[in-house]
Amino acid sequence: MTTQIDPVTTEIIRNAFISIAQDMNATLIRSAYSPIIYEGKDCSVALLDNHGNVLGQSLGLPLFLGNLQVCVQLTAELYGWDHFRPGDVFLMNDSYMTGTHLNDITVFAPIYWHDKLVGFSASRAHWLDVGAKDAGGPMDSSEIYQEGMRWPPTRIYENDKPREDIIELLRRNGRFAFLAIGDMNAQVAAGRTGEARYRGILDRFGYDTVMAARDEIFRQSEQLEREAVRAIPDGVYHAEGYIDNDGLGNQPVPVKMTVTVSGETMEIDLDGSSKQTRGPVNCGFAQTISAARVAFKLLVNPSRSVDGGTFKTLTIKAPEGSIFRAQEPAACQWYFTPLGLLIDLFVTAMTPAMPEKVAAAHYGDSMVIFLAGVDPRSSLPYLAVEPTPGGWGAYHNGDGQDALINNVNGAFKDLPIEVYESKFPVMIHNYHIRTDSGGAGEFRGGCGLVREYTVGPDSYLSLWFDRSVTPAWGLYGGGSGQGPDVQVLVPEKDEQHLLKVNVKPIPAGTVVRTHTGGGGGYGNPFMRDPERVRMDVLDGYVSREAARSHYGVVLTDELRVDAAATKQLRAQ
Amino acid sequence: MGYRVAVDIGGTFTDFVLADVTNKTTTTGKVLTTPGNAAQGVMEGMRQMIADANSVDFFVHGTTVGLNAFLERKGARVLLVMTQGVSDSYTIARGDRKTLYRVQYRKPERLVPRRDVLEVRERLRWDGSVLTPLHEEDFTPIIEKIRAEGIQSVAVCFIHAYVNPVHELRAREILKAALGDSISVTLSHEISREWREYERASSAIMNAYIAPIVERYLQSLEKELAGFGTQTPVHVMQSSGGVIRAKTAREQPVHTLLSGPVGGAIGCAALSKATGRKDMIGVDMGGTSFDMCLIIDGKPGVSNETEQQGLPLLLPLVEIHTIGAGGGSLAWLEAGALRVGPQSAGAVPGPACYGRGGTQPTVTDANLFLGRIGTDARLGGWMQLDYDAAGRAIHSVATQLNLSDIEFAEGMLSVINAKMADAIRTITIQVGIDPRDISMVAYGGAGSMHAVWLARELGIKEIIVPWSPGTFSAWGMLQTDIRRDLTSNFFHRAVDTTSEMIQSVFNRLVEEGSALIREEDVADEDIYFAMSADIRYIGQEYVVTIPIHAPYDIAEIDRNFHVAYKIRYGHSTPGAPLEFVNLRLTAFGRLDSEIMGFQPNADAGDPVKGVREVYFDGVKMQTTILNRDAMPIDTHYEGPLIIDEQSATTVVPPGYVVHVDPLGNVIITRNQS
Repeated sequence: MTTQIDPVTTEIIRNAFISIAQDMNATLIRSAYSPIIYEGKDCSVALLDNHGNVLGQSLGLPLFLGNLQVCVQLTAELYGWDHFRPGDVFLMNDSYMTGTHLNDITVFAPIYWHDKLVGFSASRAHWLDVGAKDAGGPMDSSEIYQEGMRWPPTRIYENDKPREDIIELLRRNGRFAFLAIGDMNAQVAAGRTGEARYRGILDRFGYDTVMAARDEIFRQSEQLEREAVRAIPDGVYHAEGYIDNDGLGNQPVPVKMTVTVSGETMEIDLDGSSKQTRGPVNCGFAQTISAARVAFKLLVNPSRSVDGGTFKTLTIKAPEGSIFRAQEPAACQWYFTPLGLLIDLFVTAMTPAMPEKVAAAHYGDSMVIFLAGVDPRSSLPYLAVEPTPGGWGAYHNGDGQDALINNVNGAFKDLPIEVYESKFPVMIHNYHIRTDSGGAGEFRGGCGLVREYTVGPDSYLSLWFDRSVTPAWGLYGGGSGQGPDVQVLVPEKDEQHLLKVNVKPIPAGTVVRTHTGGGGGYGNPFMRDPERVRMDVLDGYVSREAARSHYGVVLTDELRVDAAATKQLRAQ
Repeated sequence: MGYRVAVDIGGTFTDFVLADVTNKTTTTGKVLTTPGNAAQGVMEGMRQMIADANSVDFFVHGTTVGLNAFLERKGARVLLVMTQGVSDSYTIARGDRKTLYRVQYRKPERLVPRRDVLEVRERLRWDGSVLTPLHEEDFTPIIEKIRAEGIQSVAVCFIHAYVNPVHELRAREILKAALGDSISVTLSHEISREWREYERASSAIMNAYIAPIVERYLQSLEKELAGFGTQTPVHVMQSSGGVIRAKTAREQPVHTLLSGPVGGAIGCAALSKATGRKDMIGVDMGGTSFDMCLIIDGKPGVSNETEQQGLPLLLPLVEIHTIGAGGGSLAWLEAGALRVGPQSAGAVPGPACYGRGGTQPTVTDANLFLGRIGTDARLGGWMQLDYDAAGRAIHSVATQLNLSDIEFAEGMLSVINAKMADAIRTITIQVGIDPRDISMVAYGGAGSMHAVWLARELGIKEIIVPWSPGTFSAWGMLQTDIRRDLTSNFFHRAVDTTSEMIQSVFNRLVEEGSALIREEDVADEDIYFAMSADIRYIGQEYVVTIPIHAPYDIAEIDRNFHVAYKIRYGHSTPGAPLEFVNLRLTAFGRLDSEIMGFQPNADAGDPVKGVREVYFDGVKMQTTILNRDAMPIDTHYEGPLIIDEQSATTVVPPGYVVHVDPLGNVIITRNQS
């Protein structure tokens, strides 16, 4: 097994693996049925070798980074590597195996070449509904059994033919079954794309050469990562924060992190974080590993593709029975809320070691709103699910971005108002920047936004907004961003402020006005160039009052900088 | 009968192609582009190539004036007017991140800052009915601002205007009444009749942003041409692959934005027709990028959406796929591994062989080092190449990899060729095409230098190198028709749709389309149409556009959709419910565009220029150098060969043969004997 490989062939094969993963991803996104996949890009694909190591992965949803292989490996652990047969396709979503919530369905298939198992195609995509007690998934579950159907690794294709009984079982156990089966077909198609192209590589170069290239590619990735970690000063770094609650009204849930950098290795230890909660903010360890890898990748070789040589320098620890390593029957629906915080905390923890690479905290969570009911135009049920963008943190030489989707989400795009109103019996009369929501600083935190829904028919509202207890914090004297807020205005009733609610009935004409938080600022706001503060006022990111109170910048009625007054105010 | 003239302005050169309709011959020429006022270069070339200005019967022009204004961010200041409450749709820009692993992410830089986005009260419902009438008094402060700040250009985008443009149309009346013709007003529904307010606003803004610049340029060109004595109107190439008169282009200049590489795709389609080859892939390799286009069933793909520097545009445009691979792509090392591109040496310092201080090896250096480009070549017509500098650059990296210089140079080319082949696989697989069944057309400066290797990787059996590949894009512009694209939003479930509903929409579109084409001075008998529909499975977002035709049988449309879907995605769900999203009409005005072959230059002498040592697979081979201009029609040659001509070099390795076809194309195939 010591096939010699030259650098040219290695590089050709490496590029091909990356290209294959991109093609698989394109197939999945373009043929998926649910907006959450094709618009939200809530999916990921990978080409794996015959041991489940990543040959190529598309950078889809960050949170799915590097945890598709685990599905193949756990299946093999359960049933043995001889369990796989040509023409098989498997499906699974067990949270304690895959790590995420039950809505995330992993589909994978063994790939054969000349009767030999040579690898796997795998994809994961968020299905709109998997038959939880509430449409789309509950905000208040306390056991996984309330969150939908739970599948161990199960064959959905045998001998290249769909197993109609199993597919019928899937179809009968979720709302919007047509979408689910469409998405499943898209996942199978993505796998076929990967299979065909991988076989093409093997036809051209032969198995031994491709495997020798794989070993060399993994070696390169590992070496690059070791070099990058070695460049980070050795030390022990800490950070901690809280998510608001577990969704069942309980106390803030702590997340604690210790990062130890020693030579070429890094360890992320989550000891001290909350025990698993009754409410649905738990996840399987596979997902914690994934989130830690996302955090790591934000600061270490971010633009490099991921393969089986990546993440070898990184170890991750979480206590058994904690929210990060939950056990049956812990509820997992909103597993990503602590993970988004984990990522922000990692970036903050590393600030002393790499101040020019980090940024202040961002608005923090997906800020999800569900509206459901019956559309009077078609008399059919409707379910509108969307996350909401918010402000990102500022950094050493730039302002945080306004209204940008959160870190655990992928290339999500908001649903255009014209599309939203055509698809759902809801109008969006306000969609705008939330002035003054970004943390002040020499570099300003990005602003969150306001998105306001007016429901046509009687409907149901579910909300999952978090990070009000520890809103986006600043760095080096920068201020915190504002936290989230949701106003519910029922006609002829008092205004209510809510952040989390499950399937609340709201009558026709109710206005739900969501506010997302801003990002943290970076550096002392009094150091900010007054002219930039003035521009922010002209653009409406900062109010004239906040220019004075937060930045010490006095503007005239014509909105010009009053230099003398500014100097005086800043000197106080 | 006189000349049909195409002029294509590129970054360095302005290319000319003249079709002599009387003598059935075609000639080509190049002059340096004049960046300050591109019309100067155009006129210089016209004077050089054309004795009698009156003999020009048709003039078509591809211009990058609008694109350059955008890329250099030198367009007009634009005011955006949107519906009250939701005008930040433009600033929010849909909230997505295009790079996932970057805590210091920045959104693409938009063309209008938030302070120049203004609101008026008005609101339509999703079906186009009026919820809040237009509050005309809200324009008063807007008009004041425009006057006070000397703004030239306004874009208007109201929610649901794609269904009902009533408020946008009134907005223009109000602005024009107050400000006269000095103000350029772009209405979003006139640029695109599709939903998605951010994308539509972005498209309208792009139009407004380049309008004054394109207007000025076209005016100046028309004036110069008239002064020269040319009577015929100026036609302008559009991104859609059709042409329009300059006076139309001035109204919607955004349609000319990406016309540059389109000429090549149209040229491929024309070759497809002239040579009876249905499917083709066109490849154009330049200094920094590699462009690909697919011709299926004689036609280039036309998509309805693109992004430029992260900003979306809803426009019909010929699908050109681009990756960062070109003659300037750099080889570099990382963790003991070889990488080639996507970083490029650019124009400065450029490849090491340019002798401008570049020390890292590029693809061009490798081609020169291997003998595939002659040291006597004048790249781009003027560059003196430094062979030793290329050799030094290659040696410096090769030694680090323990490769010989020759192995390394060929290895660099293998890596870049494989990347380009992967890109071709991607675009063909995505539309269900097997590359082995199609011909490759290679053009641009470096396309024909690499084409045989790409074809070999992909199993493509035949490569066509058209006459004068360096001016092929200009040639393509002569081969197209007048074109206007019309879209009507048609959001209906297929079960609720009747043939009559579709017919009535097309009746209206045909009427509108005919009127537009007549404005281009086309006779009625030369007007023709193509109808298509955007359809998807209910619940999906992306549509598949399929051709449809009278009598619009719904069951047949349904069947055709499933077939088209299956080709595109590898699976389909016959029986699943469909919905229509848009109906599209393309209206054409037929132009006389007879293809005339190229004739070798009878005075050029012996086609064999000489012999040079060239490396192929590590072996030094005595290789014949041919002069393209002197290669007679219907002759055959056997590789290894290098074919030189003014604008390009074609490399034919051993094992391949060349045939000059009746149109003057060089056809390269594998040697069967």
